[in-house]
Amino acid sequence: PGDPQNLKCVTHNLHKMLCIWDVSSRRRHGQTDFCYTTNDLTPQVCFKTKERRAEIPVPESSITVTIKSSGTAFPTKEFVIHQKDIPFVPVTPHILSLKPDFPTSTLNLKWSDNGSIFPYGLDALWEIQILRKEAMEVVTQVTYYSKLTHEDIILSWNWTSDMPLECTSHYVKIRCYINATQFVGPKDWSDWSPAEMIPGKDTEPGGSGVFPLDPVVAVGSDLTFCCVHEEDQHITNMTYGSKSYTMIQLSRRSHAIRVLNASVSNTSGTNVVCRLENGYEGSVVFVGYAPDTPQNLICETPNFLIIKCTWKPGRPSGLYGERRTRYSLFERTSGKNVSCEVNEVNRDHVCGFPVLPDQKTYDFILGVSNPIGQAQSSLLVDITKRVHPKTPEKLTVTGDNSTSIQLRWFINGSFAETRLLCQIEISSSHSERKLHNVSIPGRKSSTYTAQLNALRPDTKYQLRVRCAAADHFWRWSDWSRGVDQTTSEA
Amino acid sequence: MAAAESPSAALRRRDLCSRGIRLAGKMRADVVDLLDAYVEQQGLDASASVAAMEGVPLAAVERWDEQTGTQRLLENLAAYRAFRALLAQMLEEQREQLGEADAGLGRALAAVLLQVSAFAYHLEELLRLESRGIPGEEGDGPPPPPRLSLFEQKLRGLGVLRELAQWAVRSVRDLRQLGKPSSAAGTAPGLAESP
Repeated sequence: PGDPQNLKCVTHNLHKMLCIWDVSSRRRHGQTDFCYTTNDLTPQVCFKTKERRAEIPVPESSITVTIKSSGTAFPTKEFVIHQKDIPFVPVTPHILSLKPDFPTSTLNLKWSDNGSIFPYGLDALWEIQILRKEAMEVVTQVTYYSKLTHEDIILSWNWTSDMPLECTSHYVKIRCYINATQFVGPKDWSDWSPAEMIPGKDTEPGGSGVFPLDPVVAVGSDLTFCCVHEEDQHITNMTYGSKSYTMIQLSRRSHAIRVLNASVSNTSGTNVVCRLENGYEGSVVFVGYAPDTPQNLICETPNFLIIKCTWKPGRPSGLYGERRTRYSLFERTSGKNVSCEVNEVNRDHVCGFPVLPDQKTYDFILGVSNPIGQAQSSLLVDITKRVHPKTPEKLTVTGDNSTSIQLRWFINGSFAETRLLCQIEISSSHSERKLHNVSIPGRKSSTYTAQLNALRPDTKYQLRVRCAAADHFWRWSDWSRGVDQTTSEA
Repeated sequence: MAAAESPSAALRRRDLCSRGIRLAGKMRADVVDLLDAYVEQQGLDASASVAAMEGVPLAAVERWDEQTGTQRLLENLAAYRAFRALLAQMLEEQREQLGEADAGLGRALAAVLLQVSAFAYHLEELLRLESRGIPGEEGDGPPPPPRLSLFEQKLRGLGVLRELAQWAVRSVRDLRQLGKPSSAAGTAPGLAESP
């Protein structure tokens, strides 16, 4: 009787261990003389305790403990505890924060690794459990690895749910295992932390609705939609587009459907409708493509006032209105950014950028983005080598005689620093179509003239003109409107 | 007792009523076409029942036959002013959501909006004819509706068009009633009495 027994010790931090024991007799509440000594000849340490537990150092190899009920004739009981028999169970991790990001259905978990109580460099494993529904079913369990640094580090981990967080409550628990290689005793997982909860809308009064609400997702996505309703409301069915889906019950107020490999939606989106006894809840999902990388990006100037960039957009995104793909033109040298007005329906992809004073070379980045993704193309261009004049206008005959014709035309644009090459097409019923090239110094929004000689008298000619940059030929302008002129008789 | 109506005024009223009836009939046909296109384009279920919505005037009326002419005109005018604002809101939402993607529906919606505005003006003409003051527009129309989700916007659009189609039918009946030659000389049925 009165013998201390079943002495068990466990360490939570590799320094101290907590020992507990039983006392066999009825005399359970008296004081106890507790002494211990490790075998490296340190003096014995003793203290009195009323409890049947004591915290003492973890021995390098072993430790001798003597326990005696104070003031009694009961014998002293001695225990020898070897490190190899002391289990190491880390302290239960403490969750610092669990934050939801509803738009992305992501949970962000933060916890402290309690590294300061452990030697530097130990490997730590963290098991994180995500649970869901009223029945707290395990959705996933993930192992996270970290290295302890003898400091308390806040660890952070994100988890994206396959279902909107609004659909039902989500819970997170965490436990850890520390691979203390130097410690020879048995090592075990800590206890699970208490579960942290993110309440779903199905716990809120008036939280009804279909979630996610009006999302934009990529073609091919697997989607989960849920309908949160009042508890007393019977849910008839849930449809995605025109198709009814089997419902999964999440809680008494929440049902879900799973749509796999979603195809592109029509212009007004695909309706997700939850039919209830007395009405509907719904959401509209827009399924489309991320923008392709723009191809064949070409930038040229028609007049040295504006630079016109065109490109091939690639596959249509299937998204319209406020979700449409948007384009912007950024010029690295000047840092100037222009957003482009692009009509996603008639597909003419053009963007204008102002010619900047004293800048010939432009380092363009065409940025493309929509709610699903983004892409970009870049182009380095010297606009003096990319002159594509506008169509010559007001082609008129200013004079003629039996063998020559003077022509005049107007080109809108600032070509003062450019030499123009203009080509006059001469056709008549008597001869083959001829092309007459003239090189003219460019001017600012001006008229240009040329003379055609060696023509046949009394002959009707059809004439038209087009121009290009002479020094760095890039592209002809379009042909001007034609004029007819008959040379006078000889 | 209101003053007796002159023959020219009665003729003018009957003309306005018959033109109003034609306008309402055309409007109804266009609204029904628009409704079909809207249901298809918005991916809705044509048989979906839509609860009465705040701000959408209901065509159903109790004791229709007891209404005075002025009540008929005033209720019609208030309704079409409300529909003018609702259709303008729908058009704005349409542009926001679809951009140029479905210009056809946008054009049809704009066309019906034009007819509703014209019909409201027509009703004002009738009220002027009976020297009734034209009720002012409340501030700048009904308070903007709460921001609805896209599905709620679709359902509201469905409810608006359905109710507008019903109103067009009611307006034809109202105008026929107003257009009847008065039982007493010069007094249009219901026109003379007013609350």
